[in-house]
Amino acid sequence: MANVYETSEFRNGLKVLVDGQPFSMIYFQFVKPGKGTAFTRTKLKNLLSGNVIERTYRTGDTLEAADCEDVEMQYTWNDGETFYFQNTETFDEVPVSKLMMDGSEDFLTDDIIVSITMFNSRPVAVTLPNFIEAKVTYAEPGAKGNTATNATKNATLSTGATIQVPLFVETDEVIRVDTRTREYVSRVNTK
Amino acid sequence: MGLDVPAPEILRARADALRAARRWFWDHGFVEIEAPALVRSPALEEHLEALEAGGAFLHTSPEFALKRVLASGLGRIFAITPCFRGEEWGPNHNVEFTMLEWYRIGVGFEGILEDCEALVCAAAAALGQTLPPFERLSYAEAFQRHAGTAAPDDPIEADRLWVNDVESKLHNPTFILDYPADRCAFASVRGPYAERFELYWGGLELANAFTELLSPDELRARFAHNNAARVLAGRAPYPVDERLVHAIGQHPRAGGIALGVDRLIMRLVGAADIRDVRVLG
Repeated sequence: MANVYETSEFRNGLKVLVDGQPFSMIYFQFVKPGKGTAFTRTKLKNLLSGNVIERTYRTGDTLEAADCEDVEMQYTWNDGETFYFQNTETFDEVPVSKLMMDGSEDFLTDDIIVSITMFNSRPVAVTLPNFIEAKVTYAEPGAKGNTATNATKNATLSTGATIQVPLFVETDEVIRVDTRTREYVSRVNTK
Repeated sequence: MGLDVPAPEILRARADALRAARRWFWDHGFVEIEAPALVRSPALEEHLEALEAGGAFLHTSPEFALKRVLASGLGRIFAITPCFRGEEWGPNHNVEFTMLEWYRIGVGFEGILEDCEALVCAAAAALGQTLPPFERLSYAEAFQRHAGTAAPDDPIEADRLWVNDVESKLHNPTFILDYPADRCAFASVRGPYAERFELYWGGLELANAFTELLSPDELRARFAHNNAARVLAGRAPYPVDERLVHAIGQHPRAGGIALGVDRLIMRLVGAADIRDVRVLG
């Protein structure tokens, strides 16, 4: 019997089969009308097409698990259109299209280890570590005297990403960034 | 390590709103009752899961105890009490939550509806807020207006459409009226409609009210129906509270309501998660 998930087991990142297609759960919420039956509302991202669908499941409904495997791979290089990763155990090289990088390619640091989801031996999704550390290659000069605590400015990272940082961050500093939200987390002491 | 405690200004607002609510009840002759949280028979509903504790249950609402108090001769009563519902967890649900219930002899749900609007406005006023007049919408109109279709006949599909396409569009405080008779829960029924209403605000259900059932036989039949549905769904049947069956009908026409305190506070302070307005256990 196929492995299934009940609504109580729903969580973000769950890989499930809907109408024969593999999906990743990107949102779930328990909802219940006062006197009625309980549901879990979900958003599911198609791992092949990238399309997001919304489905609402009754408590007790099940979703079939997609036969996916998350494999650790090391980033090696890219030619602008395709990004290449190497399986750290088998040393197999896996090419991933820019589309599948889903906008996260500008956080790839040298030799970074990422998690690649394989479905039927094909890569279908790339998940970066939640946090990376990267050097600021250019930060706009901070406006002197501006002490507003939530004021930010643009900064470009060595990985190519441009993100918002607090005014005190300067060029050549190393900072910690949340790859899920693209937000600045902290400065990293490199001494 | 977080403290799992709301911001001081939220706890202060919560206390101020509850103080205003209690004052409203005192001013209107209501007696505060301490309902037991540990009970032999939890609310016997198809879709409520009670937590077991020490060979008994933690109550899912003080409803059954308060109806017994009503039958004892106190005509205006209220309770503010923690309640527990298993399996309910999300931005608008916490297994432990705080319920405000009140019951009155001599009125049906229409009288409770007036109480409800006055009480919520009194709590808002304590925080310096003025609410617009509450809207009134029938269950059928709510589907037509917000989902663009009639309510599905199948109750599950109706609930699904409700939570997906209707609920979130009830922005202003709105009473939903004229529920079909088969969605009556423990309300009395008149013609095609259950005598009950629900209050929504900001897409969130805040309260549910009934004209109370007065027939012991009818209550027993609904308990049997709910237990049969529970067994069919693979859930345990609950023991019937015979004292409640005995109490029903020993009082004249009455109305009652259950209002989620945490959700009211969420709307009053503009919080998006129930865990932002209560101290977590």
